[in-house]
Amino acid sequence: MSGFWGPVMFLGALALIFTGYPVAFALAGAAMLFALLGWMAGVFDPILFMAMPERTFGTMSNFTLLAVPFFIFMGTVLEKSRLAEELLETFGMLFGRFRGGLALGVIIVGALLAAATGVVGASVTAMGLISLPVMLRNDYDEDYSLGVISASGTLGQIIPPSIVLIVLGDQLGVSVGSLFAAALLPGLALTGAYAVYAVVVAWLRPDVAPAMKLEERMSTGALVRRVLRSMIPPLALIVIVLGSIFAGVATPTEAGALGAVGAMALAALNRNMGMETLRAAMRETTRLTVMVVFLLIGSTAFTLVFRGLDGDLWIEQTLSGLPGGAIGFLIVVNIFVFVLGFFIDFFEIAFIIVPLIAPAAVVLGIDLTWLGIVLAVNLQTSFLTPPFGFSLFYLRGVTPAAISTTSIYRGVLPFIVIQLVVLAVIIFMARP
Amino acid sequence: MAGRSAGRGDPVRQLLRFSAAIDRMNDRIGGVIQWLTLAMVVVGSANALLRYATRFAGVSLSSNAFLDLQWYMFSLVFLLAAAWGLKYGAHVRVDVMYERLSARRRAWIDLFGTILFLIPFSVLMLYVSWPPVRNSWSIRETSPDPGGLARYPIKTVILICFALLLLQGISEAIKQIGILRGGGFAESDSVPPHDPHGPASPHGAPEAPEGG
Repeated sequence: MSGFWGPVMFLGALALIFTGYPVAFALAGAAMLFALLGWMAGVFDPILFMAMPERTFGTMSNFTLLAVPFFIFMGTVLEKSRLAEELLETFGMLFGRFRGGLALGVIIVGALLAAATGVVGASVTAMGLISLPVMLRNDYDEDYSLGVISASGTLGQIIPPSIVLIVLGDQLGVSVGSLFAAALLPGLALTGAYAVYAVVVAWLRPDVAPAMKLEERMSTGALVRRVLRSMIPPLALIVIVLGSIFAGVATPTEAGALGAVGAMALAALNRNMGMETLRAAMRETTRLTVMVVFLLIGSTAFTLVFRGLDGDLWIEQTLSGLPGGAIGFLIVVNIFVFVLGFFIDFFEIAFIIVPLIAPAAVVLGIDLTWLGIVLAVNLQTSFLTPPFGFSLFYLRGVTPAAISTTSIYRGVLPFIVIQLVVLAVIIFMARP
Repeated sequence: MAGRSAGRGDPVRQLLRFSAAIDRMNDRIGGVIQWLTLAMVVVGSANALLRYATRFAGVSLSSNAFLDLQWYMFSLVFLLAAAWGLKYGAHVRVDVMYERLSARRRAWIDLFGTILFLIPFSVLMLYVSWPPVRNSWSIRETSPDPGGLARYPIKTVILICFALLLLQGISEAIKQIGILRGGGFAESDSVPPHDPHGPASPHGAPEAPEGG
């Protein structure tokens, strides 16, 4: 029976999600619909729904998920404190005098912001507003500038601390701290690959990425002071948050709470910590916490019924019986996640797909922490893939109407290729 | 907010008044609940520092009541703000198709979703949560850890959460019917404004106006 209900319910749930009704409740609706059908066919016992309160209570008392609101709070405060603006302007000045330097500055700031906050939207928006005009004014190629900005702003997905990694750690049942540690190298590798690409472009195509015009430069003394001043806040936070996690002093949840306090202190130092910042941080934290947790509750209902209909057995048998064993599994799962990533967000993928594939991965002897990193790099790509990549939407939202959407799509293509290369390297060459 | 449909005793108009009352209530709740995120940050960092200080003090400075308080506040945030979030489009949609539709078509989808998914799910959750919550009250369930907080109040909030969601679902359904009847509700804030440049949900969902 498992071979029939599993795929039917999976496709049915996807269809309901695509109506556009909030995913959390569409999933719950799919759960109830297929529970009813399964019950009428005599293959599902509705008593299984009695497990929902206990699952909900498990989510409430989940110490790992508690980190999510803390990091959102921290990211929103930093966004309002103009940290990104300060860094971008400074690094633009610092590297701008070299060919391709502005692009390199954007990549480095993207990585710094990623390590300091872990929220994607803010970085892309800030870069689109601040760096894009500077790049275009200095005769940077439009496609290239847009590509650099969307790719660098998305680094927050993979560079710890990151909300994606917290959620993946929770769903895979691995420690978020070790996931953060394991993500550091791939995150830096991706940043490095972008930087190499920027240097190569500047070298081969000076017309695409020229040096900054003379009148836009700044005196060396003023520049050094500015670099020091703008580097201290993010570095302080990176030390507090990542340092305390990697040193084993704090759990990611504790570090998130301390990071949020640290962010407020830094914003206060910059005289940006008013009621407006606080209200924005509280509202955004509430909004996203509601969204994430209800998605989880809806997915829990879906998974409950899906398992009740033996859908998990179907997935496990299909995935563990693939030709090529572990490699076959990895290729199929990655293609599947990559394609799904065109349409749905990483939260849905993490909550619906990951719990279903994890058991098969265990059967095949795949390290779950490593699998988490592979999925995170893969999902990172989904943020950049047209037409529904979220980073592209953010950038579209802040760019002038004269810039065409296709220009953003063209610009981001080389970076998607770079990401896929890095993903392939991790899968084929860095498997423990 | 008032409809164009005339007549004092018009049932649609009365329903809309009922819907507006529910909206106001969840607005107020949402406005208050947001402050808990700040309180969470404060309690969370206090817990972190106390656990760290324990290493040097030799005696445990951590408090189970404080550790419980931290996740109680987390739970209150998403349980009590869920209905507020429904009103302001916090719940993520896959809007590949949805964003291309007219306001009327969207209202149809939302009405069907509300009646077929949201309201039945809220009722189901109320139904299945009732026995464990009642049980928790009858034994005055408390934390297994020494000094921990009572569990039955926070479990009761699960019921409140889905009761509020049920009410907000009814309010949304009324407003969607209002749109479909052409009562001048196309600008209602339950329908996300269509912005050609706007980011898709979730992260770029229209920012919720301040509640309360």
